[in-house]
Amino acid sequence: MLRTGTRHAPRRRGDSGLWLAAGAVALSLAALIALLFVLLQQSARPFLPAAVAELRWQGAAGPQQALAAIVREDADELIARASEWQRRGGAYLRIARADLLERTFPPDALALRLADGRELYLRGDAHALAALPSAAGLALPGMPAELPLRRGELVEILAPNQLGPGGRLRVATQRAWAFVSGSPGGDSGSAGLLPALVGTVVLVLLMSVLVMPLGVLVALWLHEYAGRGALAQLLRAAVANLAGVPSVIYGLFGLVLFVHGLGAGLDALFHADALPSPTWGTGGLLWSALTLALLTLPVVVIAVEEGLARVPAGLRQGALALGATRAEMLWRVVLPVARPALLTALILAVARAAGEVAPLMLVGAVKYAPALPLDGEFPYLHLSKQFMHLGHSVYDLALTGADAQRDLGEAHAAALLLLIVVVALNAAAIVVRNRLRERSRELSA
Amino acid sequence: MSRLRLAGADGLQPMPGGLLDGLELALQARALSLHYAERRVLDQISLSVPRRRITALIGPSGCGKSSLLRCFNRLNDEIADCRMDGEVQVLGVDAYAADVSVPDLRRRVGMVFQKPNPFPQSVGENVAFGLRLAGLRSRLELDDRVETALRAAGLWDEVRDRLDDSALRLSAGQQQRLVIARALAVEPEVLLMDEPASMLDPISTLRLEELMVALRERYSVLLVTHNMQQAARVADYTAYMQDGRVLEFDTTDRIFTNPRLRGTEDYITGKL
Ligand SMILES: Nc1ncnc2c1ncn2[C@@H]1O[C@H](COP(=O)(O)OP(=O)(O)OP(=O)(O)O)[C@@H](O)[C@H]1O
Ligand SMILES: [Mg+2]
Repeated sequence: MLRTGTRHAPRRRGDSGLWLAAGAVALSLAALIALLFVLLQQSARPFLPAAVAELRWQGAAGPQQALAAIVREDADELIARASEWQRRGGAYLRIARADLLERTFPPDALALRLADGRELYLRGDAHALAALPSAAGLALPGMPAELPLRRGELVEILAPNQLGPGGRLRVATQRAWAFVSGSPGGDSGSAGLLPALVGTVVLVLLMSVLVMPLGVLVALWLHEYAGRGALAQLLRAAVANLAGVPSVIYGLFGLVLFVHGLGAGLDALFHADALPSPTWGTGGLLWSALTLALLTLPVVVIAVEEGLARVPAGLRQGALALGATRAEMLWRVVLPVARPALLTALILAVARAAGEVAPLMLVGAVKYAPALPLDGEFPYLHLSKQFMHLGHSVYDLALTGADAQRDLGEAHAAALLLLIVVVALNAAAIVVRNRLRERSRELSA
Repeated sequence: MSRLRLAGADGLQPMPGGLLDGLELALQARALSLHYAERRVLDQISLSVPRRRITALIGPSGCGKSSLLRCFNRLNDEIADCRMDGEVQVLGVDAYAADVSVPDLRRRVGMVFQKPNPFPQSVGENVAFGLRLAGLRSRLELDDRVETALRAAGLWDEVRDRLDDSALRLSAGQQQRLVIARALAVEPEVLLMDEPASMLDPISTLRLEELMVALRERYSVLLVTHNMQQAARVADYTAYMQDGRVLEFDTTDRIFTNPRLRGTEDYITGKL
């Protein structure tokens, strides 16, 4: 046995590496939590019932008075929303602190919501109002006589100043649920995310169904058959570079190839009687799913190829030595062993596709689609129809909503929902993959 | 055409010196050279493996034994830049002729690898793998053939209750016998065994050797081994390889008692 004089001190390098890594993890976690917090907070805003105040302030033409919902208050000004008698949004009061004469919260203040999303602030008895038959006209102090309203037009009657924290939370939950599960009423201004939610999920599932077989086949060809020929090298370079192409370019490509090319061709062949109104020759679910499939194809190909490369050579040779053709070997041994890698590919594809909006706006996602892409009517899945998408809803609510103050909150809610959908789809795929891993670990135990 | 001459009616005994006189040949290599990319690992090899005998292939590590084995079932075809020259006959037929079906060839020339490579499937499915490939569908017949193969490999008693368990849970020695059973199940005529006992304990090794001797009745075995006693115990003939060449080929007795070459003797006696 050799014994040298000095014993080496334990290395410190590993420690600093550990700290760096832990720091990075903490930082990303903090960023994630901050993001979630902002989204939650922002998206809660439109749903939490605002207190309704009786305000008196010094206007340019003397003292003024109004009943309004407090939107925001800070050290030097107060923003409140007044009753939207005429149209949705825009009825904002901006009062400097110095001008504010009086602010009280009368317990009988009511916040009434109409089917089209408008809100009215009045004083009265909520229970009595709720008990009215739906045809009854409303007669409350402060209502303009030229805009008569009936009880039936009210979808929500609240006395917000009487609500405790629990009550506010309950109302917020109800409103949020109604927003998520409701359908938008087209131009009437009422909002709802259900169609966009369904559209997003259906789109991603359809994309997965399209991209996986194609991606696996391309990867198999590249990894198992192509060798190092010029064509294969070219394709490999193309795949590697395609992964970095901005998504909107795929959108344009999809528009030209699928909508104007394939779609118009299909119309000319099979739906000539319906022309000039297009059936397939316009943006739609199928074209969007195909565009996303193209977009995610490189990711899938690369991930699957990596998985194939990790299958032990001994297994391949074992199968071949038993008289398997190459296809049999791939199908019976290599692909089953590589299944976790296929799911990794799927997870990457879903993660990339679920958040894409830009290309979809070119090939089929719209602000408002009258029907769900998936319903009980034959053929159940409406491939040629335009559809709504959560990402598009975020964009739409944030930029073009009738009421930017409120809708930014709704945009955040849509964003939060989109995030939840993406995370849920990923989580589902990860659960399946881990199951498979466990099984193959059991098998390789 | 040298191939035609070799395959001629009585042409299956071209060994000089009449060593294999009167024996049919299972495998035969003539002027066989093999390159991986530009590197030559087999150099002008000529070797005949008689039918229904055990032939041992010995030689230092890296001399090309596994590579030579893979020439006989054309597994080198799968290695990207591997090039082979020369002739290989399997049961009297040119294995590299254009009209040879490679999967059929591999069904007739089974192989047991240096490292046990069971598929991540159940024990039963592993053994049935080749049978299913061959188109066997009947459950009853599959079960029957699986049992026969497992019995032949001396594994049946240990796994009869574990046929549905993962093959990867078997011990290394059991896995080795499992892949032997898997190779036997398709009833090949020739068996290439690449150090099948390298992972086995002495008892399993002994059982494997008994198995090989029993197999001799029906199979032609080409056995690579680093274990001189093993070669001496089971093999009828022994070939000594070095640096990609077969330097000496003779009956096992003579190789071990009275080798012609100095190099062979040094290797056998551990002086190399
Ligand atoms: N797929 C391959 N690609 C390139 N070189 C290879 C490949 N397989 C084997 N070789 C090389 O060919 C030579 C012979 O290898 P081979 O595996 O045939 O030796 P061996 O006699 O079986 O050795 P061992 O007794 O250690 O198994 C070695 O130098 C090895 O590095
Ligand atoms: Mg070897």
